[in-house]
This record gives sequence, C-alpha cells and structure tokens, in this order.
Amino acid sequence: MPPLDTLLAGLARERSTGALRVGRAGTVFLDEGRVTYMDCAQTPGVERLLAARGRVSEAALRRLQADGGCEQLLEQGPVTLGELQYCVLGAVLDAAFFLLPTTGTRPKFRPGERHWLGGRWYFDVPGLVRECARRRARLAQIWPAADVDTAPVRPTSRLAGRAVALSDVQWEIVVRADGEATSPELAKRLGRSSYSVMLAVRRLAAAGLLVTGEQASALPKRDRRPEARQQAGGPRPAGPLGPPVTADPTDIELLLRLKKALEELS
Amino acid sequence: MLGLDNCLTAVMAIPGALDAMLVDHTSGMAVAVSGQPDGVDPEKSAAALTETLRATVEGLAHSCPGDTVRVDDMLITTDKGHHLLRMLDTLFEGPLVIYVRLDLERSNLALARHRLRALSDQLLA
Repeated sequence: MPPLDTLLAGLARERSTGALRVGRAGTVFLDEGRVTYMDCAQTPGVERLLAARGRVSEAALRRLQADGGCEQLLEQGPVTLGELQYCVLGAVLDAAFFLLPTTGTRPKFRPGERHWLGGRWYFDVPGLVRECARRRARLAQIWPAADVDTAPVRPTSRLAGRAVALSDVQWEIVVRADGEATSPELAKRLGRSSYSVMLAVRRLAAAGLLVTGEQASALPKRDRRPEARQQAGGPRPAGPLGPPVTADPTDIELLLRLKKALEELS
Repeated sequence: MLGLDNCLTAVMAIPGALDAMLVDHTSGMAVAVSGQPDGVDPEKSAAALTETLRATVEGLAHSCPGDTVRVDDMLITTDKGHHLLRMLDTLFEGPLVIYVRLDLERSNLALARHRLRALSDQLLA
C-alpha cells in the first residue's frame, strides 16, 4: 500500500473533497484538494484544546456542532477567528506529524464529508509534508537520539550546575513527570501539543536534565527480576538506611501478576 | 473579522512597514508571510527569529527581577531597519509572534508598537 502522503498527493491533484479515514489512527479532511482538518488518536484535537483552556465546554461544543456549527461558535464569541485559525493550524500540524508516517492500514475515502471546524485554514499537501520533515529535522538537531520520545521522561534528581532556566512547557513537564509517562502521554495530561512536549523533552535531554540512554536502562525496571539486574552488572542502588530489605523474587512476581490483574479489572 | 490571513495586510499598513510575518514560536514555522525581500527564505527566517526570541527570553530570565519573565515585544535596530516582534499569548500553545521590519527613516516606532498592540487585541480578544 502506498504511503499516506502519496495517497494525499493524489487526492490533492484530483481536487477531491471528503474524509480519508486511516484506520484507528485518524482522519484527514480535504476540501477541493486542500487539507482543512486532521484528527489523530495520539494528539489532542481542537475541541479538546478549547475545552482544556476553559473557553467552551465540551457539551457546548457538541451542541454547536449539531446546530449552528462553526459560524455560530464565532458569533457567540468565546473564540475569535484568529484564535480558532491558530488552534486549527496547530492541531492539524501536530496530527500530521504523527499521522503522515502511518503505514499498514488501508485508508478509506468518503467523498463529500467535511469537518465542522474545517475550512477556516487551508493547508496544501506538499506544504504539510515539508513542514513535518522540517519539524523532524529540528528535533534531531536539538538531540539526535529519538528514544527520548518514547521512553518515560525522568528528570535527573540533582542539577549538575547551580541554576537552570526552564521554558513554560519544560516547567510543566518537570512538575508532571512521574518517571513512567512518555512525552505523548504527558502532552495529553498537560493539554499541550505533542510536538511542543517532544521538543521541550529533547531540549531537557540536551541540557543534561534527563536520565537518558544507558543511564535509563541501568535503572531498575518494574518487570525485571532482581537477579537479572545484578547479572546485567548495573550498580546496586543505595538502599534506605536500616536493615537490608529482603525480597523473594517469587513474591514480587506474584505481586506484579496481582497488580496486572487488578489493572485489567478496573 | 480579523483572521490570521488578513492580519498581515493590517500590519503592512503601518507606516514604514517593509515586510511582515506571522511566526509560530513553538515550532518556528512561518504561518503567513507578506512582502518578503529577495534572498530571504521565509522558512529559515521564521526559524531564526524563533531562536532569537528564545535566546532573549532565556537571557532575560537571568537578568530580570523576580522568577519568571514575560516578554511582550522586542525591538532590534540594524542597518536594515527596525525589527519589531510582538508575542501574543493564545489559548493554544504559542506564543504567536507578529514580526514586522520597518524602514529606518520613514517609520515611527511608537506608532508601530501602538498599532501592533491594537491589532493583537483584535486578533485574540
């Protein structure tokens, strides 16, 4: 199956109007060959962003979608045209960054379908592809190792120096990082675009503020058994003060199985 | 209604405006461009302006009283003109940056700043 951008380029040439559904990954909406909106399962959409900022409730948005649509939303005035355009622009580019490289599912095109918030800003397909490539290159330029995008974000517990300047997104990341959440998960929690969080995480990594690469894999993982860790030659973490903690590996396995079962239940 | 597309027309109407651009500060992308001079690639220009702004904010963070710094606008004067940048806080990410280059002789900086402020209020009220 051809990659998504080739398929989109074809639809753009034919000046098609409709929705291209890419399995569960997302949907691309086109109007006369130009992209008007893009949905992606991995990134927050415009509705979610508007609601997250407390401008319009999701219920009000649903009512508007059913009756009145985008015109009504702008007329009622919780959002200006400029804000909505900027919101759509950001959300679509964020979605495109993750959706365009999708392969494996055969996309289905439904002619005539439109997104209710689309049509406020138009993107040409080559422009979108170019911008995504530029964004990828920018990430690599800041910090070349892509594994920080998918690994849990772990800020170092101590600064190597005396002071550090953080941007607003970096601050939010440091506050919300729990040692388990990855960049896309943090983006969802923060109500920010996935790309901005990935960018901020790579900058943190470049500044030496994250536990990355080898250091990270030397850290104990939840599913690894203690003896495996010792065989790997990782340094034994300094235990708490007091008598040594004994942990029978079979007990830990039982606890993990229990935990998994409980998680599946909820 | 003022949108991102016709906002630059209003920016270019500022006396002495040579060229203008809307930049998405997060990604360093040129959102809209107007009157770009020859030999300047808008994509590169937007990315470079973003880095300039970021360096400024980081630098000021160390030299401002208090713990956080919020830049409203920034003015750089070169032999090629006055470069005026205004940052707009939006409900999504951002900030959105309005950039305008003004003629050294024909422009009035106070007026230009006033106009940009009025425009940003209209754009993201």
